[in-house]
Amino acid sequence: MIKKEYNNVLDFLEDPSFKNWAEQKNASDINYWEFWIANNPEKKELIEKAKDLTLGISFNKEIVSSEKVAFEWNRLESKIKATKRAPKGKLKYLKQLGIAASITLLISLGFYFINNTSKITHTTNYGEILNIKLQDGSDVTLNSNSSLSYYKNKSRKVWLTGEAFFQVDKKLSTNAKFWVLTDDLSVEVYGTSFNVNTKKKKTEVFLEEGNIWLKLKNGVEKKMIPGNYISYSSKQEKILEDKNIYNPTLKTSWKDGSLLFENLTLQNALEKIEETYGYSIMFEDDYSKNVLITGAVPNTNIEICLKAIEKSVGVKISKKNNTLIVSKK
Amino acid sequence: MNKLTDKFIWKSLKEGDLNAFSVLFETYYPQLHSYGLKISKDVTITEDTLQDFFLYIYEKRENLSDLDNIAPYLFTSYKRFLLNVIKKNKKIKYIDFTTETINDIQFTKEELIIEQETESFRNKNITKLLNKLPKRQKEVIYLKYYSGLKATEISEIMDINYQSVINTLHKAIKSLKEEISILKLFK
Repeated sequence: MIKKEYNNVLDFLEDPSFKNWAEQKNASDINYWEFWIANNPEKKELIEKAKDLTLGISFNKEIVSSEKVAFEWNRLESKIKATKRAPKGKLKYLKQLGIAASITLLISLGFYFINNTSKITHTTNYGEILNIKLQDGSDVTLNSNSSLSYYKNKSRKVWLTGEAFFQVDKKLSTNAKFWVLTDDLSVEVYGTSFNVNTKKKKTEVFLEEGNIWLKLKNGVEKKMIPGNYISYSSKQEKILEDKNIYNPTLKTSWKDGSLLFENLTLQNALEKIEETYGYSIMFEDDYSKNVLITGAVPNTNIEICLKAIEKSVGVKISKKNNTLIVSKK
Repeated sequence: MNKLTDKFIWKSLKEGDLNAFSVLFETYYPQLHSYGLKISKDVTITEDTLQDFFLYIYEKRENLSDLDNIAPYLFTSYKRFLLNVIKKNKKIKYIDFTTETINDIQFTKEELIIEQETESFRNKNITKLLNKLPKRQKEVIYLKYYSGLKATEISEIMDINYQSVINTLHKAIKSLKEEISILKLFK
């Protein structure tokens, strides 16, 4: 992610790690830039200017609510349909989506009422993302095909299968901890934002901000600092990966609705699609398996997602039952 | 990074894909809504023109040229669209307003976040300073820090090169900083 040449202000402005340094947000970026500045004294003036511009002015933005946007979209959609009949196939597709969404809602409502007295569970389907506000004020974004449970009135201890991004509210007065439990480990939190993913029989934790402690099932404890990424499997009883990630959006972009690929082979990229939308993938040739892809695709709209991939790397993807068949164009 | 999606969504829209259009709508509606409010200062006008504007885009989709980056196009054409409507309205009411005054962005003190200093006195003063800046500086500040656009995107919208965007921004921030440090002396 980090560019090699910085010759004008724009080069700095467009680098996310520079922004992190200016806002003193991510320890590894801060280290990187302190080092860089010490080694490039001739760029001092440029850096000052870029820092001023990055910090700029903070606004309390008044943004319309998503309910309002949905309402305005419905208004527009009915106008479009009134003036011109939309193609029938698309209408059908939208209707199906609507039905699917209401069923999911009913199911999760059902869960909620049945378990009202004890445990609360939120579940998501493939291609679905859920924002949850816990009683203590913490925000959780639940990725597709995942579930999050907790006991009523004890929402600072949650069980996770699948993937979720947490923004935990600090409870300064009581210093109460927040716990995330998975099959492999538990995360002990004071107030911070981080990503936990238990897909593929292991647990991956990525820390964006703040401090957390991991307690692995084998008894080992590990402190994490911002930028750290750790993957642990209790079956294999070992840490699979322990590294720093300089571009946090690679790990967290899913919560804003897109999957990011950075120089991935199509095979690796489509594993993400598999996780997100629940299709299995079949490649018809080696070219399609190994071609590299860079870019962002939506993770709640399979049609647009597949078309974007097709166009960017020149392959054809056809759907057959629950399988995506990929071939060279 | 977003380019792939932008380019693709635009293409699908041109082919009449309503799904792609809804993604576009949900992505840009909130930003354009705030932008429209800043220009027109009127919720009804903003929301009505946004409806008409998006409808216009959908109906004219076949004639739209290819785009790699949607934001500059939407901001520029929506602003033009909105100003035309406002001008027409004014004509009807026989009120003599030039586009200059309509166009002028004003910030409110509630919108400003100032680190560690929440006294409304200071907020008010800085808002005043901010609003005293030349029109174009204010617009660049708005597009950068409120709409969150990139310098290159702003340069397309304002029709100036990105170096001028940077210089304008820097000039504004610098004079604000100086004024603030003078204010602090009189604390």
